[in-house]
Amino acid sequence: MRIVVCVKEVLDPDAVGAYALAGSLVIGDDGKTLTQTTIPTLMNAYDEQAIEAALRIREAGVECTITVVSIGEDATTILRHAVALGADTVVAIPPPAPDPDCHAVSALLSAYVRSSGGADLVLCGRQASDDDQGVVPAFVAESLGVPLVDIARSVTAEDTSDPQSLRVTRVTPDGDEIVRVACPAVVTVSSELGEPRYPTMPMRMSARRVEPEVVTADELGLSGADLEIRVGTVRQTVPTVKGDCEFITGDTPADIADRLVARLVEDRVLQQK
Amino acid sequence: MTEPVVVCTFGGTSQAGQDETEAALTLGRRVGEARGGELRWLVLGSAPVELDAIARRHAVVAVDHAEDAKLDTAGPDARVEAVAQYAAETQPRLLIFNQDFDSRRIAPRIAARIGATAVMNGLGIDVAETGGLHVISAAYGGDTNVVYAPDPSRPCVVALMANAVVAEPAGGSAAPPETRSVALDLSAVEERIEVLEPARTEGPRLEDAEIVVAGGRGLGSPENFKLVETLAEALGGMAAASRPLVDEGWIDSSRQVGLTGKITRPALYLAVGVSGATQHMAGCAAAKTIVAVNTDADAAIFRHARYGIVGDCLEILPELIRAAAQMGAG
Repeated sequence: MRIVVCVKEVLDPDAVGAYALAGSLVIGDDGKTLTQTTIPTLMNAYDEQAIEAALRIREAGVECTITVVSIGEDATTILRHAVALGADTVVAIPPPAPDPDCHAVSALLSAYVRSSGGADLVLCGRQASDDDQGVVPAFVAESLGVPLVDIARSVTAEDTSDPQSLRVTRVTPDGDEIVRVACPAVVTVSSELGEPRYPTMPMRMSARRVEPEVVTADELGLSGADLEIRVGTVRQTVPTVKGDCEFITGDTPADIADRLVARLVEDRVLQQK
Repeated sequence: MTEPVVVCTFGGTSQAGQDETEAALTLGRRVGEARGGELRWLVLGSAPVELDAIARRHAVVAVDHAEDAKLDTAGPDARVEAVAQYAAETQPRLLIFNQDFDSRRIAPRIAARIGATAVMNGLGIDVAETGGLHVISAAYGGDTNVVYAPDPSRPCVVALMANAVVAEPAGGSAAPPETRSVALDLSAVEERIEVLEPARTEGPRLEDAEIVVAGGRGLGSPENFKLVETLAEALGGMAAASRPLVDEGWIDSSRQVGLTGKITRPALYLAVGVSGATQHMAGCAAAKTIVAVNTDADAAIFRHARYGIVGDCLEILPELIRAAAQMGAG
């Protein structure tokens, strides 16, 4: 079984969130990008969980190869992390033009999967924590002509000795749904899969020397027209919230609680029985 | 029929669903007016009860009703194929979905199939001076907004987030919409995903709750979450949580409020120990009244709250439970 996991390098969303909470998130001079150099980059957490899902399939006894692929100018750091986690092969595809949109990324990923002999399972994070769009897996699935199973908390092979189909638990607003899908398929992984493993020190040490295989758009047979930007970014802004919070104070917690409830009754938000 | 703006809905006849539909129709009408395209409403599967009244209220020019037994089972492949066939015939410029769990998995696939662009997490759509669309979208869990300019030579598929647009009737007296049945051929569609065990909603849904009490990391430990549950019960509401608590396994993900969880719209949202991260606020911003309890007077949640209490939630919660119980007894 060949598993291809697609990963993206993103700005640490927790750091972005911390700046946003502090009201000090800054958009760069281009009006589009977050340029704060103090915000670290890392592998999108959902993508890391997609790698974890692949590793669990292997550990369940499925004979498989795990290839991790990333589109990026310099994906070496996150791809070495993928090796440290247990990926067999890592592939970097530099985008021919900077800031590829979801269409260009999808075209590159689909072409890579096709040209490298196909994949029985393509695993992706449910969305990237930077743009939150989550459309690339759907575009890849459509391009490859395979089904898309989204928002998975677990992905297992129905028969580990002959993995022709998968059993996937999806996280839905109404609770878990268990589905079966034949391979090949694209599956997106959600945070409910659980914490990804932490790479061991020996794995990290050996991963430090790994150089990802580099595949170019030319080698994938894609030209500029295939990769043109279809969804351009005009600008990025930090929304502001106007606050009009009235603070309820009092001498004791009991006092405060009574005053709040009285206000809510007054506002008819709560009804006195 | 020139470059229509199409709002596509399916399933969901709840009040919340109707509000969202009207918000999407409001947005679609505005874009249509700004760039000259009639507003059509594509209904997949069974139609909402109030269909005619809603359509007239929003000056919908035509209601396109797509019915097929395969559309009633919520399978994604039939829906994708149905909209793709419809788009081939109608050639929409813009296709708007209300973003929810089901539309989020079909909208980008539809875009891919019909050669359209796709923008999710939509907050609004402006028409640029050039006549092209500017789609405003939430990024970084809502910490930033991004304005995208989709290629104007292609149709665009937008998923509109709940509560992003306030529904507003067209005003005036609109003519009744032309209503027609969409000719579909779904005979070749066989759902590739087989549902072995369907999801089962147990008890009331958070989305429908009138009162929600939500706990966050500030509670400190899973045991303290019981206080949130007790207060929710005392108020006749439901308990919910921010994502960190779900990730830590304190509570099931069906109770998670936020961008990747539930979008609630209660009359009262009482947030305890919740910092107010944007991704969480996306799930409760539509609450009529937000009350926040947090030890940190600078917590972002207070920027959204109507009433705030700065204090230790472990001291305040038992008193709120008592006051709520007294109110019920009084």
